[in-house]
Amino acid sequence: MAAASTTASSSSNSAEQDALKALTFQRLHPRTYLERFLAENIRPDGRDFDEWRDVSLNVGSISTADGSALVRLGSTTVVCGVKAEIAEPELDRPQEGFLVPNLDLPAICSPKFKPGPPTDEAQVLSDRLNEVLVSSGVVSTSSLCIEPGKAAWVLYVDATCINYDGNAFDATLLAMVAALKNTTLPKATYNEETKRTICSRKVREPLQIGRLPTSFSFGIFDGTHLLADPTSFEEPLLDTTISVVIDESGGLTSVMQLGLGVVGADDVLNKCIDAAKECWRKTRKGVYGTS
Amino acid sequence: MAQSNFDRRRINGPDESYQPIFESDDEREARWRAGEPRKGRAARDIRPIFLKAGLINQANGSAYIETEKTKIACAVYGPRQSKTTVYNEKGRLNVEVKFAPFSCTRRRVPIRDAEDRSVAVQIQQALIPAVRLELLPKSTIDIFVTIIENDGIEGCIAAGSVAASVALADAGIEMLGLVAACSAAVVGEEIWMDPTEEEGQIASGSLVLAGLPALGTVTSVWQSGSMTPDEAIKCMEACQECCADVHSVMAQSLLESAPNT
Repeated sequence: MAAASTTASSSSNSAEQDALKALTFQRLHPRTYLERFLAENIRPDGRDFDEWRDVSLNVGSISTADGSALVRLGSTTVVCGVKAEIAEPELDRPQEGFLVPNLDLPAICSPKFKPGPPTDEAQVLSDRLNEVLVSSGVVSTSSLCIEPGKAAWVLYVDATCINYDGNAFDATLLAMVAALKNTTLPKATYNEETKRTICSRKVREPLQIGRLPTSFSFGIFDGTHLLADPTSFEEPLLDTTISVVIDESGGLTSVMQLGLGVVGADDVLNKCIDAAKECWRKTRKGVYGTS
Repeated sequence: MAQSNFDRRRINGPDESYQPIFESDDEREARWRAGEPRKGRAARDIRPIFLKAGLINQANGSAYIETEKTKIACAVYGPRQSKTTVYNEKGRLNVEVKFAPFSCTRRRVPIRDAEDRSVAVQIQQALIPAVRLELLPKSTIDIFVTIIENDGIEGCIAAGSVAASVALADAGIEMLGLVAACSAAVVGEEIWMDPTEEEGQIASGSLVLAGLPALGTVTSVWQSGSMTPDEAIKCMEACQECCADVHSVMAQSLLESAPNT
């Protein structure tokens, strides 16, 4: 009895020691650690090279925002809120409102971010999101006009990452589009005499949504392996990242590639686009509709 | 409120934009009149607390608290090496609070301002007596609090302290006890516990108390507005009673998140 319990405790001890050794090895030699996994055709979190993490979406939970969404892509958690304000339109675009997306990667979400102004990563992601939202036409800025030349809506779409486990771009785009879809604006009328805009508390109208883009990101490790949906451990080790944005009809909206898109001897861009469409068809088709 | 900040590190909107002005509120519920009882709750009831530890796996410890409309996420990183070259015999506790831009009725600019700093200082004062910093020389513990939705600033300070305390416990940092906090407001002749933003505006004074129910001590009291000394003492006593209830919720959430061995 005593012997059995000591062997049980020693085996659990050695399991703990193995786990500690693996953790130390991961910290000291991350590249070799990843290479060893990839040689066995699996990734450190147990997924296949082309496997995507589960996505969960929750909208409308924040009452202070005009529209909100919470996205969980694996462990990566992003909260997005839309606040609407009123401003004068630009002089050269009197019939257009404004769409201002921003992503914040605060110190809370990962040990590699320090408190302070937005890091390079946050700035780059914000800019890319702005490009995609504008180019895909999620909300047409002319639908935000209240009175040409006098008043228009400004939609501040602010996303905050709560937990950063890689692939913030996909998660944030999902959160922003879902929050916009969830947004309702009060009915606004511009009063010519007082030159002010008055909003109604009773009547709220949903935004006119154009397209619903979804993004799929890939990374290339060492020029040899194509990994879908990289985690925060894999991301710093990747040479190339490719993002493919698909709209709600399965059509291609935009493609972004940073780095040399070559695995072995073949160019993988088309492969990525096909894989993205496949994943969209299988899992993400109804993701905005279910919310 | 007109906002005219150009931040070169963010996507900017127009130079000035202001919050929508609503037509005169005929539909709005009649304002509270003196002598009326509280709506929705008894005077001494606090809002139900949902508390979960360990949601942020990148951090050493984390907690998420939700009390009806107040939603706060907290992460603890540490103990990690102090960046300064000055030798510190006792560990440092650094608290940073951030309000999400969509968390308040009026959009908050992402630049940190005085309110963020004052909430952070209050949470820090509530926690410092409870953490055994003398065991952590040359180290810093960083606590980051993100307020996702804000329904009453006193409620935020109280919930933030509770979340930070649970996150510290989740990170395995040695403490003398769990810090529980509660807020109270004086409305007319009555004392209402855990005021919402609306209730905070009609109150004449408010008080936030943080303490260690396990040891029966108080770590921080913050009183604002006007109240008689008697009312202040009654508020403190009521808060201490509620802290005991909050403490059991905190202990329960930590038990649930502990891995089954």
